[in-house]
Amino acid sequence: MKNRVVLFISILILIGAGLCFANGQKAASSDQVKLTYIYWGSPAEDAAVKQALAGFEAANPTIKVEPMYLPGDLDGSTYNAKMKALAVSNTLPDVGYFRPEEFGNYAENGYFLKLDDLIARDGMGDAYLPQTWLKIKGDTYGAYSAAECQVMWYNKKVLRDAGVPTPPTDYKNAWNWDQFVSYLKMITIDTKGKHPGDSGFNGKDIARYGVSYDLWSAMYYPSVWSNGGDIIGLDGKTVLVDKPETIEAFQNLADLMNVHQVMPHVTGGTNISPTTMLANGQLGFYVTGQWTLLELGAMKDLDFGVAALPIMKKPAQLYVSGVNVVFNSTKHPEEAWALQKWMMDPAKTLDLYTSGLWMPTKKSYYTDPSDIAKWLENDVHPEGFKEAVVDSMAISINEPIKIKNINQIWGDYLNPAIESIWIGDKTASQALKEAAGKIRNSGLLQGSY
Amino acid sequence: MSLPKKGLNAKRQTLWGWILISPLCLGLTLWVAFPMGLSFYTSLTKWDMLSKAQFVGFQNYIKIFTEDELFLKSIRNTLYFTVLSVPLQMIIALMGALLLNSQVKGKGVFRTIFYLPSLIPIVVSSIMWLWLFNYQYGLINYFLHFLGGGRVKWIDSTQMVIPSLTIMNIWNIGNVIIIFLAGLQGIPNDLMEAVDIDGGRYWHKFRFVILPLLSPIILYNMIINSIKCLQLFVEPYIMTNGGPVNSSLSFVLHIYNNAFKYGKMGTANAMSWVLFILTMCISLIIFKTSKQWIFCEGDKQ
Repeated sequence: MKNRVVLFISILILIGAGLCFANGQKAASSDQVKLTYIYWGSPAEDAAVKQALAGFEAANPTIKVEPMYLPGDLDGSTYNAKMKALAVSNTLPDVGYFRPEEFGNYAENGYFLKLDDLIARDGMGDAYLPQTWLKIKGDTYGAYSAAECQVMWYNKKVLRDAGVPTPPTDYKNAWNWDQFVSYLKMITIDTKGKHPGDSGFNGKDIARYGVSYDLWSAMYYPSVWSNGGDIIGLDGKTVLVDKPETIEAFQNLADLMNVHQVMPHVTGGTNISPTTMLANGQLGFYVTGQWTLLELGAMKDLDFGVAALPIMKKPAQLYVSGVNVVFNSTKHPEEAWALQKWMMDPAKTLDLYTSGLWMPTKKSYYTDPSDIAKWLENDVHPEGFKEAVVDSMAISINEPIKIKNINQIWGDYLNPAIESIWIGDKTASQALKEAAGKIRNSGLLQGSY
Repeated sequence: MSLPKKGLNAKRQTLWGWILISPLCLGLTLWVAFPMGLSFYTSLTKWDMLSKAQFVGFQNYIKIFTEDELFLKSIRNTLYFTVLSVPLQMIIALMGALLLNSQVKGKGVFRTIFYLPSLIPIVVSSIMWLWLFNYQYGLINYFLHFLGGGRVKWIDSTQMVIPSLTIMNIWNIGNVIIIFLAGLQGIPNDLMEAVDIDGGRYWHKFRFVILPLLSPIILYNMIINSIKCLQLFVEPYIMTNGGPVNSSLSFVLHIYNNAFKYGKMGTANAMSWVLFILTMCISLIIFKTSKQWIFCEGDKQ
């Protein structure tokens, strides 16, 4: 009797094991190709991507695409953790978004499909912006999903009420920094209606602020470059963050909060979303990523405009985006490449562009008037968007993502140092010189990919 | 009664014993012993999870103590939080439990209210506190301002961020209160009456009856809470990302950053082992010193 129980338990275990095994074997048996597409983003981006994938399935009936969506987080650490787990357990998807700062390491370790032959075969190389293709040692392993950059939105009513003239949209002839600051002071008022500099102005009780800058790593570059500075050299071995130009750029931004009192304190993400403040009329200007247009464009009551970024010494623009890759482990490279191409073609996924989320990577959408009209002429993109934003991509520089250990250099050294400038504990000169010294001694400057 | 004879019967019993505990053994091996072993092995390697692991001996351990200034800072932050949180939590929870144990109207409602925060997922409560602590628009500063005080930079200042997290942690003491409450209800009424007969006041009841009889439960709560505080992660991860200027960078957050942000699995595992040993030492110290103040029923006193 007891033997029978033991036998029964053993059989149960065997059945269990058998089921697990069968489950793993099932996928290969159909002639339909199944791809998995991984991506992050806001719920709105999720919906837009799902729609694009559905379009791909409709055009390719033999291919089924399974979306693998991870809600977006700003610094991407959750996405990166997930990606690591997938890589270690050999369960990477076929195609998808990839965090730019991790791109070099994965590419060097052979996780991505080399795309050069496919690009040449399909004649795609010259059809796209030169910044789009991501190369490691001359070989292409991925492409930016979109062209994204920094923009400056403003609330038209707030500017009118404060008596500020309509800001220029030509990125080459924008306001200089001093002009910009003087207008910000006109916009900023405390609860008694006084401006910064007026006697009795209460900086602790401000009802309306001049500007809010998004303060995270990529968003610093345009200001730093505009002042002629830089952070870490592209060789991954030189620290430039203690250059006088860099220091001045950071001090300028910090002074907006601590000296001129025209910008709300933003540390640790504790502030009310600047988008909300802009819509509420509590904010004049908002300097942020161009993708926020998706959110702003959906607010039909908000009358907002776009201005060219203020210039410290020369105009500057950043090219930033998530990366799109085909994973080397895919069993269907042809189909996976077809999906990647589909996601890169604005004609196939126009909603992603007309909604304001992305700007195209395809050249003709910047040069050919009929293509330009396709994504810019709608009630989402404000007047002047082409001159202030689209045209500024001509001078855009890629976010330096191929520097080794760049993530840790930012996380352990630069971010804390810059934070101490924002909260006024240290001047930019003290904080950045100290950080530069630490970075030089950290052993993290190991070149670039 | 004679002991069962050794033989077939005893063997069968042993066999059954093993069969019945085998799921537990299997679980412990697969999900505790094996990962711990693997993590110790990994702590001796340089491994970014993408390329092959290189064996480097105890280099990771040496490096975190000699080269990584944030490592010591994260330990300091975590210990500060623990030392601040645990005693405050214990005192306030005990006071709460004493009040909830008294015979008042609507006792059930109060018990529910005090326990409620424990039911809220920590991510949700973190976001909520983020709003409460907001410098410009937060509710706390709004009241301070309304009462004529100045605004306080709660989680935006290097000095206040750990005390702010402590306040938030104290708000969430439902579990501790419930355990204290259970202990209080186990105190026999005749002892309390004896104090009454001797003419003692409430303070005497508390000092000579409640506190000694509750001491094993205080010990339990103290150890569990210390371990919880040492593992502080979600609040700084969500609310401050370790900032400002790394002043809320907790030990576990630093481990997480190294493992998943910087691709330094070996270093992160070495830190985890240091945390394990640190936690064990602190628990041992509490245990050892507890003999002097703990009261066990059955002891001759």
